[in-house]
Amino acid sequence: MVVGDYLLAGLVAMVTGLDRVALVQAMISRPLVAAPLIGWLLGNPLVGLEVGMLLELLWLGRLPVGAAIPPDDTQVAVGATVLALTIGPLLGMKGMPFVILSVLVAIPLGKFGQVFERLARHANDRLAIAGCNALMAGSTKGLERYHLLGLASFALASLATAFVIILVGSFVLYSLAPLLIGAVREAGLSLQYSLVLVGAAVLLGTINVNRSISLFCAAYSGTLLVLWLR
Amino acid sequence: MKVPCFSWLTLLRIYLRSFLVQASWNFEKLQNLGFFYLILPGLRSIYGDEIPAEVRQRHVSYFNTHPYFAPLVGGTILRLEARSFAGEDLAVGAETYKSMVMAPFAAMGDALFWGGARPLAALIGLLVASQGSLWAPVVFLVLFNVPHLLLRGSGLMLGYVQELRAIETVQKCALPDLAIRLKESTTILIGVLCAYLAFTGCEHKSLSAIWGFVLLPVVLLFAWLAHKGVSSLFLVLLTTSSLLLLALLF
Repeated sequence: MVVGDYLLAGLVAMVTGLDRVALVQAMISRPLVAAPLIGWLLGNPLVGLEVGMLLELLWLGRLPVGAAIPPDDTQVAVGATVLALTIGPLLGMKGMPFVILSVLVAIPLGKFGQVFERLARHANDRLAIAGCNALMAGSTKGLERYHLLGLASFALASLATAFVIILVGSFVLYSLAPLLIGAVREAGLSLQYSLVLVGAAVLLGTINVNRSISLFCAAYSGTLLVLWLR
Repeated sequence: MKVPCFSWLTLLRIYLRSFLVQASWNFEKLQNLGFFYLILPGLRSIYGDEIPAEVRQRHVSYFNTHPYFAPLVGGTILRLEARSFAGEDLAVGAETYKSMVMAPFAAMGDALFWGGARPLAALIGLLVASQGSLWAPVVFLVLFNVPHLLLRGSGLMLGYVQELRAIETVQKCALPDLAIRLKESTTILIGVLCAYLAFTGCEHKSLSAIWGFVLLPVVLLFAWLAHKGVSSLFLVLLTTSSLLLLALLF
């Protein structure tokens, strides 16, 4: 992997990061989209799809409402894909076990995203004051400029999060991957499915709708029976 | 005086600016700059480049609503501003209207899009992805963004054309009920996805699929823990460390 690829990863981190709050919110920031996107740009979209599947449901129930800041699952997805595609070949490790290991290393680092995003929003407090002052002085162009500068705060926060995940993640993977890869390979499919199932359970627990348990149990039992009797 | 009308270009500018309504989201006044930025092309159409100080003052105050509903609020506000500029008496002023609707629209949008449409589209995308298809992100994006983009556009036009009556039209759409239906559908799809994973897992271990029912109470336990406020991160660490320990021991 060359420097250009890391720059590309940084660019994707910023664009997808902007989509989380500041720009459009078309959901290209969701792990199911962001991870295959960076995977595709780095030459292996399937690895990205695997990362996206593992991460998509984990924080989906955390609503980006008002001042609430969920962990940055976008940069976790981007970072984990970059780690899987860069560190794996260097260590001579490939396939699903290393993808799972990259995801497991990246997940806790998503907490940094909350810190950086909080800082970005505080930086925007100052922009808002400056924008209001410009407007009161009669400059609508000044307000527009300060408003759009807010994008830079969010983009930098995303870039910083991705940087921390890739940097710390690389160090952790270099140190621990040779020790853990055997156990991850052994746990294999159970580990892969457990991440999706934990995400599904968290979503079920936070979906806040009457009869959710009955509907879930009915759908689960019905589907399993149909698949069993097929 | 005649009420000023906006050109299609102005409306298009407002629509495009709605994508940037949260660009300077801040803890102090949330989307205040964003809302002013959104309606600015309309205000320029009404007042020209010299927007009166009181108009500037009232539209840069605290503002927070769901970003997809912002064009609807903006369209109505601009129409009210245009009528006020033409000297008409307004039953509800622009500022009162804004403070009246932003919270209900925020709650409605959060439930409908963040709580309903997004999880549903994501689960459908995940089911596609579970077949190894790279179309999964496209399916997810299309399912989510068609209603999203339509709401932004139709909201703007609705607010602009119907003004205060737009609230009645939104009420008639029964969006909170739709949000509940979407959440129920999501719950069903969570069941389908979990059962599919349980079935595949059993097949992989050469077990009868009936063993998949063992997973049901486990998922329910984790759902209960999440409901009680246990974090996703803790649950992931608990599950993965247990599985890794088991793999190392046996």
